[in-house]
Amino acid sequence: MSIDIAPILKMLVFPGGLTLLALGLLYEYIDRKLVARFQNRVGPRVLQPLADTIKLLAKEEVIPQGVIPLFFVSLPVVALAGVLTAGLYIPMAGLAPAYSLPGDLIITVFLLGLLTLCIGLAGANTADRFSLVGATRTLTQLFSYEAPFLLALLCPAILADSWQISVVHRSVLGHVWMALPMAIGFFVAVIGLMGKLELAPFDAPEAESEIVAGALTEYSGRGLALFRLGKDVALVLGITLVAAFYLGGLANPLEFLLKTLGLLVLVAALQALFARLRIDQTVGLWWRIGALLALVQLLIVVLLKGVIL
Amino acid sequence: MKIGSMLGEIFRSVFRKPATVQYPYGDRQAVPERLRGTIRFDPEKCTGCTLCMMDCPANAIEIIAIDKPNKRFIMRFHADRCTYCAQCVVNCRFKCIEMSNEQWERAALTREPFTVIYGRDEDLKKFLERTSLEGVKEKP
Amino acid sequence: MTGVQKEKFIIPIGPQHPALKEPAHFEFTVDGEMVTSASVRFGYVHRGLEKGAENRNWAQALYLLERVCGICSHAHSTVYALGVERLAGVSAPPRAQAIRQILLELERIHSHMLWVGVAAHEAGFETLFMYSWRDRETVMDILESFTGNRVNYSANTLGGVKYDLGPQQSDSILRGLDSLEKRLHYYLKVVTNDESFLRRTRGLGTMTVEQADALGAIGPTARASGVTRDLRVDSPYLMYADFPIHVITDTAGDLQARFVVRIKELFESARNIRTAMEHLPEGELAVRFPRKVRAGEVVSRIEAPRGGLFYFIKSDGGENPVRVKVRTPSLRNFMSVLVGSVGRQLADVPMILSGIDPCFSCNDRAVIVRRDGVPATEFNPRKESASQSKS
Repeated sequence: MSIDIAPILKMLVFPGGLTLLALGLLYEYIDRKLVARFQNRVGPRVLQPLADTIKLLAKEEVIPQGVIPLFFVSLPVVALAGVLTAGLYIPMAGLAPAYSLPGDLIITVFLLGLLTLCIGLAGANTADRFSLVGATRTLTQLFSYEAPFLLALLCPAILADSWQISVVHRSVLGHVWMALPMAIGFFVAVIGLMGKLELAPFDAPEAESEIVAGALTEYSGRGLALFRLGKDVALVLGITLVAAFYLGGLANPLEFLLKTLGLLVLVAALQALFARLRIDQTVGLWWRIGALLALVQLLIVVLLKGVIL
Repeated sequence: MKIGSMLGEIFRSVFRKPATVQYPYGDRQAVPERLRGTIRFDPEKCTGCTLCMMDCPANAIEIIAIDKPNKRFIMRFHADRCTYCAQCVVNCRFKCIEMSNEQWERAALTREPFTVIYGRDEDLKKFLERTSLEGVKEKP
Repeated sequence: MTGVQKEKFIIPIGPQHPALKEPAHFEFTVDGEMVTSASVRFGYVHRGLEKGAENRNWAQALYLLERVCGICSHAHSTVYALGVERLAGVSAPPRAQAIRQILLELERIHSHMLWVGVAAHEAGFETLFMYSWRDRETVMDILESFTGNRVNYSANTLGGVKYDLGPQQSDSILRGLDSLEKRLHYYLKVVTNDESFLRRTRGLGTMTVEQADALGAIGPTARASGVTRDLRVDSPYLMYADFPIHVITDTAGDLQARFVVRIKELFESARNIRTAMEHLPEGELAVRFPRKVRAGEVVSRIEAPRGGLFYFIKSDGGENPVRVKVRTPSLRNFMSVLVGSVGRQLADVPMILSGIDPCFSCNDRAVIVRRDGVPATEFNPRKESASQSKS
C-alpha cells in the first residue's frame, strides 16, 4: 500500500502549511518593525509574532454567552484553512505553484475573501454591540474592496488570455517593462490589498479607539490566534500575488524576497502616513476612485491587446 | 491640502536612532541634579522642632526623641508613604534634610527596606534596644 | 401608544474603553452609524479629595490637591496656593510669582502636546501621536531639570516656590523652547494640511459663538468658536499683568479649529516664558507662612490648560481648611460633546470627545443638587442644561 507523499508534503510543508505560517509570522514582524522605525520607535524583536501566537494558543478560550458555539469555534479554523489552501495556487518563493487549474485566479481571490467573510460572520455571531458594528464595517469594506481588487488583478490576466495564475505568471516573467503601462493597475491593486487586509488607514473595521477590536472583540485564546495567523498569511499571499502580476513576475527565490519585501516597505510606509479613514469615507473613496481607475486600466489593457500584442 | 504630509519625516526616521531609551539596558540618561529621590537626614543639626513631621502630606516622617534635653533625635522614615514633595526640606530651618538624586530606584520585594531609621550610631543602638527591633541596616 | 418601537441600539463607551484614558460612562443611541442621542455619567474616579483636604492642614492639603490631575497638577497647586495666600494676607514675592507663571506656561505646553498626540491617536494617526509625544519629552526634561520631577512638580509652597531659576536651568529652557517651536511649526503644518487628517477633523463638533456661550464651554474649546474668554487676560493673576498674553481665537468652531488654537497658544506660551525669563525680578523665593489662616472665604481662579479652574476655599481660623471646592474646566465642556455628537456618525464621537481635552479625574466631585431645598436623587444633564448657570 503506497501513500503518495508528495501532495501531503506540498500541502503541509512547502508551499502550503508550515512555510506559509512561517512566512506569515516573518512578514508580520517585518511589517511591525518597519512601521515602528517610521515612527522613530524600536519595534518588536524577530520572534515576537511567534511569541504572541504561542501565548494566545496557551490561553483559555472564553466562549461568551449568546453565541452559537459551533460557529464561534469553527469560524477561525475555516478562515485559516481557506487562506492556507489559497497558498497552493500562488507561485510561492518564485517556484511554480503546487497546483494549477484553469480559473484558479477566481478561486484564490475567493479564498482570500473567505477570511474576511469569516471575520464578519464571527462578529455577527455575538450579542456584543462592538462586534456587531465591527462586523457590519468588515462586510461593507469587503464589498467595496473586492471589485476593484479583482479588476486590477484581471488586467494582467486579460493580457495573458487566461484565468490561470501560473499561465499569467509565466507570461509576465521577464517583462518588467510591463510595469509602466500597468502602473495604475498596480496602484489600485496595492490599495485594494490594504483594504482587504484591513491595514491602516483602512482599518475602520477594527478601529481600536472606537469599537475596541471590531468583529474580533469577543475572541481570545485559540480563536484569536488562528484569526491573526490567517491575516498574516493573507498578507503574504496578497503581496506575492500583486508582485507576481505587476512587478514582472517572481523568477526565483531571490527575486521573490526582493520584490515582496520592497512591496512590504511600500505598504508599511502607507500604513504610517495617514489617519484612519471613516468607513463611509473608505467606501465612498474607493467605489468612486478605485473603480474608475480600474476601468481606466482595463481600457489601457484592451488598447494594448488590440494594438500592440 | 497634501496627501501624506509626514512622508519626509518618516523617511528620515528610518535612518535615525530610535527615540526609545531602553531602560535598564542600553545607555541610561543622565540624572538631573535636582531630581527628588529619597530623603537623607543629618541628625547632627536636628533640634526636634518636628516641623517636618507636621507638614508631611503622607505622614512619612517620625521624629523620635532619644534624649530630648541633649537634642538627640532620630528619624523613622517610611519611604513607601513618601510622595517626594520636598516640603520637609523647605520646612527644616537647619537644613537637616535633603533629597538625594541618586537613590530613586526604590523597588523592593518586601516591605522591610521601606522603613528607614536615620540617626547617630549611639542613638540608633539605644533605640533598637528600647524597642527590641532586629537591626535594620542604616542606609548609607 | 401602540406601534412598533424602533429598537434603540445603545453603544456604551466606557467605563472601560480604549478611546477613554480614564473611566466615564457615555451612552450613545445609534441608528446604523448615526447617533441619535447621548448621555453621560461620571463618578468612577471619585477619590474624596475635597473631604480629604478637610482632614489635613494647609500645607498638607497643597500636596493633596496637586494630585487632582496629573496633567494640570501645577495649575491646581497654584490656584490653591494663591487662594490661601490671599486668605492669609500673605503675598508671594515677585520672583516666586514669575517662576510660578513660567511653570504654568511650561505645563500648558506639555498638556497641549499630550493632547495633540492623544487626539491624533483617536483619529488613527499613530505617527503624529508618536512624534508629538517624542517632542513632549523635551518639555518633560526641562521640567525635570527645573523642579526635579516630570509630573506633579511640587514646585509650590505656601508663600512662594521651592526651586530657583539658575543659569543652567534658563539655558536648558531656552534651548528646549527653540527646538520645540520648530517642531510645533511642523505639527501646525501637518494638522492643517494633511488631507486624511483634515477629513477626520474638519466640520466636526462645530459650535457657533452663541452655542458655545449657551452650552457653557470654556477654555480652548470655546476660544476655537470665537469666544474671547481667557482668565489670564480677563482677571490677571501672578505676573500676567506685566507679561501679558494675547488671546488666540478662531472662528471655525470645529475640531480643526481646536487643534489650531491649541498649537497657536503654545507659541504664545513660549513667547511669554522667554519674556518672563528675561525680566525675571530679583528677590527671595518664599516668605514665611502662618500655621493658622484667618477666617474667611476666598474664590481663586486661574486659566488651566483646559480652561478656567475655580477653587472656593473657606477657613475658620484653624490649621485645617474647612471647605475646599474644586470646579475643573472639563466639567463645563461635556455638554458640547453631548449636543455636538447628535446627528454625527459613531466614528466621529471619540474625536469630538477628545476635542474638548477631557480630564475625567479632574471632574469627579460629588455634587448635591437641591430642588426646592430637597436633595434631588437624579441628575439628568440634558434636562438641567437649560438651567445650568455660568460659574
